[in-house]
Amino acid sequence: MTAVTQQIVLAVCSFALALFGTLLLSALSLVVARSGSCSRSFRYEIEARALTLLKGWLSPKQRACYERFRYFDVTGSDTGTRYRIHHGTQTNIEELNGTGHHVCKWCFVPDGDLVAGDVMLAQKIALETNERGALGVAHRSFVSSGPRRF
Amino acid sequence: MATQIVMDRTGDTRHTFDIHDRAEVEKAERRFRDLTGAGFTAAVRSGPGEQRVIRSFDPTAEETLFYPRLVGG
Repeated sequence: MTAVTQQIVLAVCSFALALFGTLLLSALSLVVARSGSCSRSFRYEIEARALTLLKGWLSPKQRACYERFRYFDVTGSDTGTRYRIHHGTQTNIEELNGTGHHVCKWCFVPDGDLVAGDVMLAQKIALETNERGALGVAHRSFVSSGPRRF
Repeated sequence: MATQIVMDRTGDTRHTFDIHDRAEVEKAERRFRDLTGAGFTAAVRSGPGEQRVIRSFDPTAEETLFYPRLVGG
């Protein structure tokens, strides 16, 4: 084989290799993009299902409030204290005083990586049936953006 | 038919059983014991927006909801 032939073969091989690499990368990118899109749409589906479950367990008043403001109020089973459960999964419970002012925030969640609807439903049931037990495991926070009236 | 709803990472998993089928009721009761033994709380609806926590299996409950143990967030 002459030197020229060897160079031609080498060039063709290099080109083929580069083409193969590019195709492989494109295919991988497509797979990653698709799986990301699927997991996002799966997450939305989970969240929608959890919110449907939550709404089924809310009282008509709580449900109307949640649909309008993305929060609802519950009354603690032991002390009668009013709590506001905001849409979310962390530090989303606000304790209110008798005049509706912010007192502090509470954070407790069901164990596991649950979506907002499930977390809020567990928080509602816990506060309305076993307030002391729920607050016994909760973290309390006094950080607030300022006095608020509800 | 009755339903046991177990909160999990997929939102929830639902188990339906025929309250007139002894084998299915026994299976549902075992599931109740397993879940509550693992720290889940079981609740049933007692009115619009109202619920009560149950400590023992209630085969007549139309819908029983289980949520995992609560932890400080």
